[in-house]
Amino acid sequence: MLALQLLCNGIVTGCALGVVAVSFSFVYATTKIFHVAHAGVYTLGGYVAWSMLGHGFPTAVAVLTAIAAATALGALIQGLLYARLERRKATHLVVLIASLGTLAVIQNILAAVYTADILRFNLPWGAEVFRVAGNVRLTMTQLLTVVVSLVAYGGVMWFSNGTILGKQIRAVASNPFLAEITRLQPRRVHIYVMAIASALVCLPGILVPMDFGLQPYNGITPLLTATIAMIAGGVGSITGAFVLAIVITELQNMSLLFIPGEWSIGVTFFIFVIFMLFRPTGLFAAAR
Amino acid sequence: MRHLLRPAIGLLAIMLTVTTARAETIRFGAILPLTGPGAMIGTQQMRGIQFAVEKINAAGGVRGNKIEIVFEDNQAKPDQSILSFNKLADLQHLPMIFTAYSGPSLAMAPLATRKKVLLINAGAQADKLATASPYLVNTLPTIGDEIKILSKYLISEGKKQGTILFENDAAGIAGRDDFVKLFPAAGGTILSQEPAQFGQTDYRPALLKLADAKPDVMLVSITAGLLQLAQQYKQLGMTYTVAGTTFFAEPATIADPSSEGFIHTQVRIDAPPELAAEFKAKYGVEMEFFTRQYYNAMQIVVAVTDRLLAEGKPLTGETMHDMLFTIGKFQGLIPLEFKSNTASVPLDINVMKGGKDVTIKQMSSD
Repeated sequence: MLALQLLCNGIVTGCALGVVAVSFSFVYATTKIFHVAHAGVYTLGGYVAWSMLGHGFPTAVAVLTAIAAATALGALIQGLLYARLERRKATHLVVLIASLGTLAVIQNILAAVYTADILRFNLPWGAEVFRVAGNVRLTMTQLLTVVVSLVAYGGVMWFSNGTILGKQIRAVASNPFLAEITRLQPRRVHIYVMAIASALVCLPGILVPMDFGLQPYNGITPLLTATIAMIAGGVGSITGAFVLAIVITELQNMSLLFIPGEWSIGVTFFIFVIFMLFRPTGLFAAAR
Repeated sequence: MRHLLRPAIGLLAIMLTVTTARAETIRFGAILPLTGPGAMIGTQQMRGIQFAVEKINAAGGVRGNKIEIVFEDNQAKPDQSILSFNKLADLQHLPMIFTAYSGPSLAMAPLATRKKVLLINAGAQADKLATASPYLVNTLPTIGDEIKILSKYLISEGKKQGTILFENDAAGIAGRDDFVKLFPAAGGTILSQEPAQFGQTDYRPALLKLADAKPDVMLVSITAGLLQLAQQYKQLGMTYTVAGTTFFAEPATIADPSSEGFIHTQVRIDAPPELAAEFKAKYGVEMEFFTRQYYNAMQIVVAVTDRLLAEGKPLTGETMHDMLFTIGKFQGLIPLEFKSNTASVPLDINVMKGGKDVTIKQMSSD
């Protein structure tokens, strides 16, 4: 019973982190920017939704406003910061530092406006408990997280393979110089990518805090796991990032059956270090 | 006549100097976590100090001298705390600094001894704080004092099989170590223990693993995220008793139905209703436990400062330290006595019931 409950909890958390990994991978594969400020966008989405709900707006309106705010912030970061740095031939290290600075600014603004208290979504339906697969107990928020994450993953796959913009993005990611020559306007595409990824990361940015509460600094850990999932899954592989995020979370959860909790993160990442030694391009690299 | 004039002018000059010195603002320091995961508690502590200082200054200060507090943000990090301590002690020459959180306080303790700066802690409870430095004074009991009382109470209630969920930092580990030592000494057995990271709010895996040991009681030794823990405990359908220390004094957790039946020791420190109302009108929030603690600590500092000024002694870390132990007993929001570096205070056993924290037994940290 313990194993089944741990497995189900791992799937829930893994799905949410999977969407973070997919969105981060989407940005990195196209722009080659290590967009650490993505953690700030993730956090902002939750705070906007929390504010809207606190002012009595319906859940759907709150979620849509949060997505719009995250989308706008992502596009602004790309248009006003990364694009300018690119024009000035800034190195990857400079861009990374700029991204880290942006994250610090977002976190500090959120802490100043909302305080650093752990804020709670007051949604009684979210805490409603359902029994699934025997006696496994999951809340409505957890079930919703799985459904929304799977839909988001499916949506990104369809967008990437089945739409013209998706194909243009893949073309820019594949060869930016050729894309420039063929008038695909990579800089504009980069803004689209950042906006889409920001909208996407807003979903777990709302759903995870609905379960665990909101904190200005709580975007870092998901981003760390997402980064590792992206690399281990194969940079550029949407499926790789999504699946590996679930695998990492499951390893962390299920390892509790055999080892004390303080060792679970260390053991999980040790397994990945060994794995990367044998397959440094990632598990799904061939699927690019 | 001339032979009298010179000493008279000299005396007048000395008096003017003394008057000028007395009219100066007295400055103390406070190194608290004002950003980062510890900021929730740090902000409560800062407000307690600020509120006390505003009231003291509005009433004319201490013997006509205004009080000013220089706040430094340590993000609850020991390394940052040392930088802040050196800045306040060496550059600003402040004789007394408020501190909080066990890790940072323990890091600053050797410096306080060396530089003879009085450190007053009204929030951290790791056992090592009691003996870390003669210049580190704690206005609340250590976790060990609370765990000892709690362990005896749990055994008397027939809760003999225990597990531990602890925060993996100085305060959380101290709680775990004390329970591992004192619960079996009281007649109980420790079945299992699981760590949580500071600021973490996903406790489900740890709760599930601990529940698998089938305990009567789980000691929770965490300083943040208690509400999330309570909600996840309820959602997972757990039934064993949850027990803790003064860290459980979170109004949101107490008010939440998921915390029904949680037992904890509690340092007794109540604010008079008119004072609590004044605080709420000013800051828009309740005067919570750590706010009351630091408000009370500021009263101690004022009493010490007042006595030193009255006796015409200089205001240094050394004189403040000596005077604090000379006075010994203080009556702020609670009666408090310093027989050692850690104050003896009233301590209760509370249970969360119907959204309220109900006292079921009254004791002392002695």
